[in-house]
This record gives sequence, structure tokens and C-alpha cells, in this order.
Amino acid sequence: MTAIWPIAVITFKEGIRNRAIYGISIFALLLLGANLLISSMIMQEVGKVAVDMALSTVSFAGLLLVLFIGINLMAKDLDKKTIYMVLSRPISRFQYILGKFFGMTLLILVTLSVLSIFAGLSIVMVKMSYPGYFPRFSWSMVALAISFTTLMLILLSALSFLFASFASTSFITLVLTIITYIIGQSISDVKALVEAPQIVGIQVSPLTVKVVQIAYYIFPNLSLFDIKTQAAHGLAVSPSYIFWVVSYGFIYTCIAIILAAIIFRRREFP
Amino acid sequence: MKRFLAVSLLCILLALHLFTLGRAAHQRKTLPRNVDYSYVLPSPILKITALEFDGLASDFLFLQALVFEGSTFERKERPRVKEWEYRWMYNTLSASTDLDPYFFDPYYFGNANLTWEGNLIRETNTMLDKGSRYRDWDWMLPFYIGFNNFYFLQDNEKASEYLMEASKRPNSPSLLPTLAARLAYKGKKTENAVIFLQEIIKKTDDESTKKTYEKRLNALKGILFLERAVVAYQDRFKKPPEKLDELMTKDVIREIPQDPYGGEFYIDKDGSIKTTSNLR
Repeated sequence: MTAIWPIAVITFKEGIRNRAIYGISIFALLLLGANLLISSMIMQEVGKVAVDMALSTVSFAGLLLVLFIGINLMAKDLDKKTIYMVLSRPISRFQYILGKFFGMTLLILVTLSVLSIFAGLSIVMVKMSYPGYFPRFSWSMVALAISFTTLMLILLSALSFLFASFASTSFITLVLTIITYIIGQSISDVKALVEAPQIVGIQVSPLTVKVVQIAYYIFPNLSLFDIKTQAAHGLAVSPSYIFWVVSYGFIYTCIAIILAAIIFRRREFP
Repeated sequence: MKRFLAVSLLCILLALHLFTLGRAAHQRKTLPRNVDYSYVLPSPILKITALEFDGLASDFLFLQALVFEGSTFERKERPRVKEWEYRWMYNTLSASTDLDPYFFDPYYFGNANLTWEGNLIRETNTMLDKGSRYRDWDWMLPFYIGFNNFYFLQDNEKASEYLMEASKRPNSPSLLPTLAARLAYKGKKTENAVIFLQEIIKKTDDESTKKTYEKRLNALKGILFLERAVVAYQDRFKKPPEKLDELMTKDVIREIPQDPYGGEFYIDKDGSIKTTSNLR
């Protein structure tokens, strides 16, 4: 543990000093500003659209954070060979991975907290302009949705560590992570579609159905963490759902990090 | 000297930039439309491509339909919106509500535009039915379906079923059960429709939608007024009038109300009051 914490702190500092974080923040602020504009075009459910915009912005900015800062934190070490410096010290490779991962988790937590404050402000601003159009609004659901997004991003960054442990360049890690994100977000919809293709009038071969069903169990089901619709309409999410999704996220993240450590331990550096 | 050249070159280029931008943007307008208003992706495909942003995609589909409808007000031709455009609007709103079935605005907007002018009654009802199932706390949607069944499809039995359903939901107006009961009687169609519309207008707060409904209400009030005059005429002269003018010449009424849609009221062969504008 004593070796892990310094690595986590240095990783966090490295991430927060990255210039890209300013770009992401400005982009997020612009989108949250757009919230006011778009909400003003809605006739009835202004609150729903304001929450939609705020939560989607937080999600998307978090995704950019994982993809363009998170991946660099570990993959750049490998790219630029600075990893030799770290590995020559008395820490195991497992500690190194774990330290990096905790640093990244910390970065996600801090950045998303800041983003949530701004998202909250944008909702408050819309709410003050159109106070009568927030009939089913609840702050606790908004907070829950952001927490779920945070969990999803931590899971995704764990997977990016897994890819970095065997990929030869950071670019490959980036591509693999993006693909995993897209598959993870859509796999349950795709599965539903290929299992009942007659709804849209297409034909699907039995092989495709099998492939999708197998993929469903391999790739993470990221859409489980998406409760933006429920949050936007103030619909109830049962405690048991929260429990099972959190457990699922935790277990999948652990698997990804342990696999990453195993592969990384066997990796040989030229 | 070199710096002067560079600065003047930059100035010229900046001016050219503005000029070319203007020309290119102008030419762009003459290109065939790149937004295809005839086809909407099936909702399962939209759901997949929207990733985790289903709600946002639903908002934007709704806004697309809204902005399109708004853009048609600049048109000079009649009818303002063509039949296939209404169908496209219906498909877009339907996809929007597939992505987020709890979103009230597409139902609200669809009901205001697709039924009266678009003539897509059954389709709109199917869409509203979906909304009514998901938004089980909201009395407005079954109320809309009830009205459409009563007014357009002349299915009073179904209409009163939906009204009863609406009256069971929280905050519904107290007159709903009475209205449902009234529908059980045949006739009095226009009068009931006026009551319905007045209730809808009470719950409509954005100005443009309100105006559309108020226009209809005024037209219906005109028809109701004439229907009552015809009944009075019949009572007095023991035969129905052949033309509306007779109501005036025989002093039953002072003047014939104006159709807010720009048409003229007349008595149809079956004795009912119609208008040349067909309320569109």
C-alpha cells in the first residue's frame, strides 16, 4: 500500500496538469450554456430537457477525460519509455498498475464533482427562468445518475488499462477503448434487435445472433449505468437495482484490473 | 517593408474570406436540400446509434419536427403542410417518443398538429396510447385520446372509456366524469366539443398552441350558434331552412358568424352545419 499511494498521487497530479483538461472544461461549460438556449425552445417539459442536457454533458465530458487524458497516463509511460524509471524502483508491476488506476479514479472523481457543480448551476439557471415547468424534478435522482456515470467511467478506464497492458502503442489502446465504449453502450439494444429483428423488418442469420449473444457476456453492459431518462422524469429507481448495478460495476472493474496486472507482469520490455 | 506586405496581404485575404464565405453560403442555399424530410430511421436503430444519449436524441428529434413546423409558416402555398410532410412529422415524433416514452412534448405537439390539419387520427391515437401507458400519472394523454375518438372517429363509447381513465388520474378536472357521461348520449356533438376544447385551452400555456386551439374553439362556437338557430327556425316554421340566409331574413339571428379559417358556413344536405374551409 505504501508504494501504491505515491503513484496514485503523482498520476492524479499529472492528469490534472494536462492542458487537455482545460479544453474539456471549456467545452462542457459551452454545452451547459447551450442548455439555457435549448430549454427555451421546449413547450412543456423544460425540466426534463434541462436535466437531459446537463447529464449528457457531464457524461460526454467524462468520456473525453477517460479517452484523452486517462489513456495517456499509462500508455504514455510505455510509449515514452519512462516506465523503465518506475520499474527500476522497488515496486512490483501490480502495485504500479493499481497505483495508476487509483490515481485515475481520483482524477475522474474530482473532475466529475467539478462538472456536476456546473451542471447543477445550469439546471438552477433554467429552473429560475421557467419555475413552473419542473413538475417531477428531483436533485437526488440527478445526483444518482451522475454517480452511475462516474462508476461507468471508472469501469471504462479500468478496461483502458487492460488494453494498455498488451497494446504496443497508446493509439491502439485509444481505439480499443472507444470500440468497447460503443459496443458496451449499445450491446443490450443490439441483442434485443437481433433477437426480434421482425420489428424493423430485417433478417438476421442465426450466426449473427450467436455472436451478439456471446459478445453480450464478454463486453461490459454500460447501458446499465445509464439512468438519465429516469433522472430526467424523476422516476423511481429501486434500491435493489442500485445495489446490483454497483456490484456489477465493481466486479467487472476488479476483473479488468487483475487481468491487466497479470498480462502486464508477463510483458517483456525491449 | 516586408511587414507592410504581409499585413496588407492579410487584410486582403480577410476581406476575401468574408466575400467567399458569403458567396459560398448563398450558393449552398440553391443546392438540393440535404435534410431528407421523407425518411426517419426505425427507432431500434436510433436507439443503438444514440448510445447513452437516448434522452438527448429524443429532444432533438422533437425539436426537428417543431422547427420544421415553424418553418412552414413562411410558405405561401395551400395546404401549408403536405400530406407526406405530416407523415414525416408523425414518424419523427413517434421515434422521439420511442427513445423516451415519458417525454410529454412530442405527444402534446403531435396532438395539436397531426389530428386537425394532418388528418392522422388513428396514428396519433396509437402514439398517445403509448404515452398514456408510460405516463400513468398524467390525465392529459387519455383525455386527448378521448377527444379524438369522440370528435374525429365518432366513437363515443371509446371516448367515454378514455375520459373515465383520465378522471381516475391525479389532478384531473372535476368535470371529466360528467363529460364522459354526456358522451353516452348521441348528438350534441358540437356542444361537447366546445366543452372539451375549453378544457384543453385551460391547460395550454404556450401562446402559439393556445392560438391554434382558440381558433378552432371560435369556429366550433360559430357552428354551435348556427345549429341552435336552425333548431329554433325549425320550431318556429315547422320546416328546416334550406340556406343560412333564411335564418337572417326570417329574423332568427342577426348575422352569420365568421369562420376563423376564412371559409363560409353552409347547410349540408343532411342538415348539418359545415364550412367551406373544412376547418383547416
